[in-house]
Amino acid sequence: MSESIVEIKGVSKTFKDFWLRPVAEAVRGVDIEVEKGDVFGLLGPNGSGKSTTIKMLLGLLKPSSGEIRLFGLPPHDRRARARLGYLPELSYLHPFLTARETVLYYAGLSLMPRRAAKARAAELLATVGLAGNEDRPVGGFSKGMARRVAFAAALVAQPELLVLDEPTSGLDPIGTRDVKNLIRRLADGGMTVLITSHQLFDMQDICSRVAILSHGRVVGGGRISDIVSKASDKRHALEDYFAEVVA
Amino acid sequence: MRRFFALARTAALESLAESLSAVVFLAALLLVHLAPVFHYHRFGEAARLPRECGLSALLVFGLAFATSAAVRTIGRELSSGTASAALALAVPRALFHCAKTAGVFAAFLLFAAAAACATLLSARTSALGAQIAATGVDVRIWGPGLMCGVGGTILAFAMAAAANRFMRWRFCVSACLMTAFAQPVALMAAFAMGGFADDGALARGMARLFPAFAVLAGGCLVFVALAAALATRFKASVVAAVMAGAVVASFLTAPMAQMCPFAGGVIRALLPALSDFWVADQLLGGGAMQMDEALRLLAVSALLVAFWMGVGSVMLSRRELP
Repeated sequence: MSESIVEIKGVSKTFKDFWLRPVAEAVRGVDIEVEKGDVFGLLGPNGSGKSTTIKMLLGLLKPSSGEIRLFGLPPHDRRARARLGYLPELSYLHPFLTARETVLYYAGLSLMPRRAAKARAAELLATVGLAGNEDRPVGGFSKGMARRVAFAAALVAQPELLVLDEPTSGLDPIGTRDVKNLIRRLADGGMTVLITSHQLFDMQDICSRVAILSHGRVVGGGRISDIVSKASDKRHALEDYFAEVVA
Repeated sequence: MRRFFALARTAALESLAESLSAVVFLAALLLVHLAPVFHYHRFGEAARLPRECGLSALLVFGLAFATSAAVRTIGRELSSGTASAALALAVPRALFHCAKTAGVFAAFLLFAAAAACATLLSARTSALGAQIAATGVDVRIWGPGLMCGVGGTILAFAMAAAANRFMRWRFCVSACLMTAFAQPVALMAAFAMGGFADDGALARGMARLFPAFAVLAGGCLVFVALAAALATRFKASVVAAVMAGAVVASFLTAPMAQMCPFAGGVIRALLPALSDFWVADQLLGGGAMQMDEALRLLAVSALLVAFWMGVGSVMLSRRELP
């Protein structure tokens, strides 16, 4: 029997204003389960609740109702969060730190031994294609390069679960291909990956399972192999399925 | 502790990395060093103007620099999402807040230490040169002291520019660090050039002046902790408005307490009464502040800092980070 890494059961989130009046119901009764070794795609149009779901999973937002378990623990439990890596939707990095310092900063927050962190930072920056740029401040980087630094920072502590919010956003075609290949390699190595994205073609390539959100609800999903096997146009299977369930 | 130091170091760097910080360090320290030049009228004691100029620079420039750094490093990180990336890892929010505030404290204390050294040199430069005649003031500033202070500060700034040009060091950070470290070096250079009457004069000057700076810096740290706590919830404009009100209220604690004892008591419980922390008058005529009084005021500051750091930690813990 496979081990559940993420369990989201009947989770809802309503944002309220200063007077505690409900402003927006971002997530409504979402059920998602991610198993060990999955590359799980959380898909949906803008405003469908993907990022809110991810932030509840990371303990940055509290669900209004429902239950979330991360490695069998509540999401605010530090033992659970110590086992994950997170790439935010936008690459928020300190502009005055160099690429190497940024990765080492996150290594320090993950309590990695300094010597191991230095070796790991060098290895990761080379992996994401930033060899030779390690000592440049990230404030001077292009959006795509900053994204690569953030990717390296998310991977530095060798997490068991990698949460990627729009990982290919801002990357050029070569960068997108590199990231897809990297995610495949990580998954082959046994890492569980949870991805949100609008890039359905890319998601079909790399995900093993998907869930599709619309207006805060799960409106479809399943194994990619099942979705592809039922489609008439295999190449655009996920795109067609997405359009069908969201419509 | 490794997490604490990683966060605090980044916050200290962030505080110094803004161009505003380099401008504040350069402008405030040059102002203190140049104070002897402005001896146009009689103050009764030649070193008084530089000394009070140094304390004022710490209060005004230091407070402006440190509160803006606190808002930047905490408020902007929370709104931009840099904080989310750290807090999504196993970093407790209270640790995050305390470490970030401690980083800003470190940057502020660097400025305070530099201002104290600059003031000691400036006061000595002024006292050595001014000859007060019965009919007026004949000002002759001790040149080597002025040269060490002003020249050292400008040279440090130029070295930071050169380090940025040739070694790619961060300009604003190195400018702040180099101008700060230039102050004790300039003080020692002046000492070596005979700027102090005897070997014990430097130590006596430090013993008189540094406690006054420590007490005022302690009072300022309370405001920095308050700004950091407010930055966990409110926008920079709101924090700036509250801080301005808090500084004014803390200066008016005594008259307020006379008009409304309850309001005065509340302010005194939450903020340092800055009139108590401004001890310039105690240094007049070769006087020094009492050590037990200095320790009492530092203890009050420490308690208030701990209180506002606790408030900030609770506010951040309850905040959602969308």
